[in-house]
Amino acid sequence: MEIRLFQILVPILALLFVIYLVRRYSSSKSTIYELVLGVGFWIAVSIFAIFPDFFSNLIAKIFGIKSNINAIIFFCIGILFFVIFKMYFMIKKQDKAITDLVRHIALTDEKEAKES
Amino acid sequence: MILIPKSEISICLPVYNESQVIYQVIKDIQHAGYDQVYVIDDGSTDESIAEAKRAGATVIRHLLNRGAGAAAQTSIALARKKQFKYLVMMDGDGQHSPADIQTLYTTLKNKGADIVIGSRFLNDNSEMPNIRKRYNQLANLITNLFCSNSYSDTQSGFRIFNRSAIEQLNLTLDGFSYCSEMLILSDRLGLKLEEAPIETLYSEYSLQKGQNFMAGVTTAWHLIRKIVFK
Repeated sequence: MEIRLFQILVPILALLFVIYLVRRYSSSKSTIYELVLGVGFWIAVSIFAIFPDFFSNLIAKIFGIKSNINAIIFFCIGILFFVIFKMYFMIKKQDKAITDLVRHIALTDEKEAKES
Repeated sequence: MILIPKSEISICLPVYNESQVIYQVIKDIQHAGYDQVYVIDDGSTDESIAEAKRAGATVIRHLLNRGAGAAAQTSIALARKKQFKYLVMMDGDGQHSPADIQTLYTTLKNKGADIVIGSRFLNDNSEMPNIRKRYNQLANLITNLFCSNSYSDTQSGFRIFNRSAIEQLNLTLDGFSYCSEMLILSDRLGLKLEEAPIETLYSEYSLQKGQNFMAGVTTAWHLIRKIVFK
């Protein structure tokens, strides 16, 4: 099997990201859920890089897409949509938390101003 | 006509950058006999707070601009905390007449309602610009789809609430879509909603302050998202 440059670079890059994620988790900056999700993602990327033809053909076969390149593009678009939706709902959650906090401070300030 | 107990009416004005008019708006309300006026400042960057205090209103200040819906829910939270008997919400740009509080209160009492919405369209002599009429019609169409009754002005910011409504309403949308959310939520909670005709005082200033088309699209999207995903 001919080894191409990206088949070496991508796993090395993935390994660096995995080390970064583990360090974040060990210093309590992320949750176990984020660690598992992140490590799982980079392992998948590495395997995909090492065996690109096998996995792209497999995805094409599963989804009934003729070309393996098209299959990869559709697959990546799907992942991107998932990530964007997840981030969108996270932002909405943060937004609500900020509003609740702003309201709480506003009502507390009003009480304190009246008492002083 | 029912005599209105003015001391039992508390008025909240959600405000964002209204320094040009807020002083006069508060004075007009006070001259009409209502002395419990609260300004919910939604993170204004102009002199709105100073002007409101100069006029003698109590100011509740959002440190950050969170939107009209967030300010409306803060009004409700304040009413709950301070045990207001009746809460009136009015726009801070001077387009509502304090004289109409009597109309809203009378409708609340006569019809046994929990919330009365001041409708700009019931009198059919509204001087609202055509583009705004179309926007309101579209908003009515979307909102009424999710309500058991049909309302003529779902986007009006002039409303009166009794204790039951104050205790039960919890709005979650921060933007202008709160108007629709409030109606749909009230419907689901079994609160009785009525409408009463109000006069609208359009000035060059208040016309500049209204929503534009993109704000309308955003409002509709927020409302639909809320209904679909919750």
